Amino acid sequence: MKHHPEIDKYAGLSSPIHNWDPRAKLIAILSLIIGIVLIPDLEIALIGLAIALTLVLISRIPFSFILKHMLWVIMFIAPLFVIVSLTPSGGIEHASLIAVKALSAVILIFPMIGTMRFDTTIKALERLKIPSKLVQMIMFTYRYIFVFTSEVQRMFTSLTSRGFRKRTNIYTLSTTGKLIGMLFVRSLDRSERVFNAMVSRGYEGNLKTLVDFEMHTADVLKAAILIAIAVALNVVCLTVV
Amino acid sequence: MMEMVISIANLSYIYHDGTPALKGVSLDISRGESVGVIGPNGAGKTTLLLHLNGILMSKNGIVKILGIEARKENIKGIRRDVGLVFQDPDDQLFMPTVFDDVAFGPINMGCAEEEVRERVAQALEWVGMEGCEQRLPQHLSVGEKRRIAIATILSMSPQILVIDEPTANLDPRAKWELTVLLRGMSMTKIVASHDLEMIAALCKRTIILDDGKIVADDATRNIMSNTPLLERHGLAPASGIIEPQYQGPSPNR
Repeated sequence: MKHHPEIDKYAGLSSPIHNWDPRAKLIAILSLIIGIVLIPDLEIALIGLAIALTLVLISRIPFSFILKHMLWVIMFIAPLFVIVSLTPSGGIEHASLIAVKALSAVILIFPMIGTMRFDTTIKALERLKIPSKLVQMIMFTYRYIFVFTSEVQRMFTSLTSRGFRKRTNIYTLSTTGKLIGMLFVRSLDRSERVFNAMVSRGYEGNLKTLVDFEMHTADVLKAAILIAIAVALNVVCLTVV
Repeated sequence: MMEMVISIANLSYIYHDGTPALKGVSLDISRGESVGVIGPNGAGKTTLLLHLNGILMSKNGIVKILGIEARKENIKGIRRDVGLVFQDPDDQLFMPTVFDDVAFGPINMGCAEEEVRERVAQALEWVGMEGCEQRLPQHLSVGEKRRIAIATILSMSPQILVIDEPTANLDPRAKWELTVLLRGMSMTKIVASHDLEMIAALCKRTIILDDGKIVADDATRNIMSNTPLLERHGLAPASGIIEPQYQGPSPNR
C-alpha cells in the first residue's frame, strides 16, 4: 500500500487538545487565528507566535512533522518578506510582522485539524452548520484525493515504463497536459458512477451522519481561554498605542 | 405459482449517443431465486442492472419490482427493496469511514439512531467485518472493500440483491470466500459477471446476454455444459486455444 501524506497522522495521540470537543476546538482556534492576524504590533505578534508554538507543544505533535510541512509555506512567505522589506511603505519591521502572523496562523492549523481524524473534522463542520454543499465537497475531496493520486501514479508508471522522462521541453509539457486531461475525463466518469451509487441508496441532496460528540464544561472552558487570549492580544495593542 | 419479484417486459434502452444497449429484454424472476447474468463485455449487463432500481428508466418496456411498475413516484420504495452493489468498490464506498458508509442507506431510509447502529453492526457481522467501523476506505484491501460494499446494501435489508461483477480483481481465495458469503444469503439474488466458476457455484439459473438481447435462459448446469453456446457468445475459449503452443518468436534469443 502506498503511503499518502496525511495531515491527521498524529490524530491518535492523547493530549488536552486531542480530547477537546471538535466543534469547540475548531471555533476556538479559528478565533485565535483571526485574533493573531488582526494584531498591528510586531512584539505582540511574537507573543501570538509563542502561544501558537505552546499549543503545538501541548498537542504533542512532533515539531519535525510541522517543520516538514512548513517548508512549502516558508517558500511562499520568504519572497514576500524580501519584497515587502524593500518597499518604501514596508520596511523590515512591517515585513516581519506579516511573516510572523502568517507563520503563527499556519502553525495553528496543526493543533486545530492535526489532532483529530479528518473525518471527524468534516463531521464537526457539518455540526457547526457549515453549508451542506461545502461540507460535501470537502468530504468527497478527502475521500477521492487518494483514489486520484494513485490513478496519476499508475499513469506515470505506465509512461515511464515506455521510456518517458520528464524534461524541460514542449513534449513533456504536452504529454503532461494530455495526462491531466485524461484524469479529468476519468474523474467525470467516476463522479457519475459514484452519484449512481449514492442515489441508489436513497441520496436526496443532503448527507447525514451519526456522531458521538459531547460538549463538556472543560471543552467550553478551553475555548473560552483561547478566545479570551485572541481578544486580549488585540486589546493590549490598542492600549499600548 | 411462485411470486414474481422482478418482471421485465420488452425493455429497450438507447444511450445518449444512439448506441442501443438493450433490445427487447423480457425476464421474470421469482422470490428466492439466484440468477446469474453472463455475457461478454458491452453486452448490456450493467445497463440491465441499472434498470432494476430506477437509476436508468426507459420509456420502452416495463420493469415491475414486487408487482409495482418502476416510476419516478415510487422510486424511493423500489430502491429500498432492490439493493444494487456496483462493480468498483471505490464508487460504492464514498463516505469517509466504514461506519458512515454502511449507515448511509439506513439514515436515508429514516431509521432512528439506535436502529441505524444496530443495522450497521449486523451488516458488518454478516460480511465478517465486525469491528471495522472506524477504518478508512483508503486503508482497506480490495477484498475488504468488496465486503464492505455488500454490507452497505445489506444494512438496508433489501428483498432483492443485485451485484455487478462481485469477484473482479479478487484473488482465488478472496473470490471463493465471497462466493460462500453470497451463497449464505437467502434473499433473491441477481449476479452479473463473466466469472463462470463463481456463477456455477452461486446460481441455479443463468441468463446469457449478448448484444443487448437475452440469448439463453436455462438451468446453470445446462448452460455451462453447452460449450458451443458459450463459445458462440465469447464465454468459452475456441477449441484448441488452451493447449500451449510455441509458434511465435522464440523466447531464446
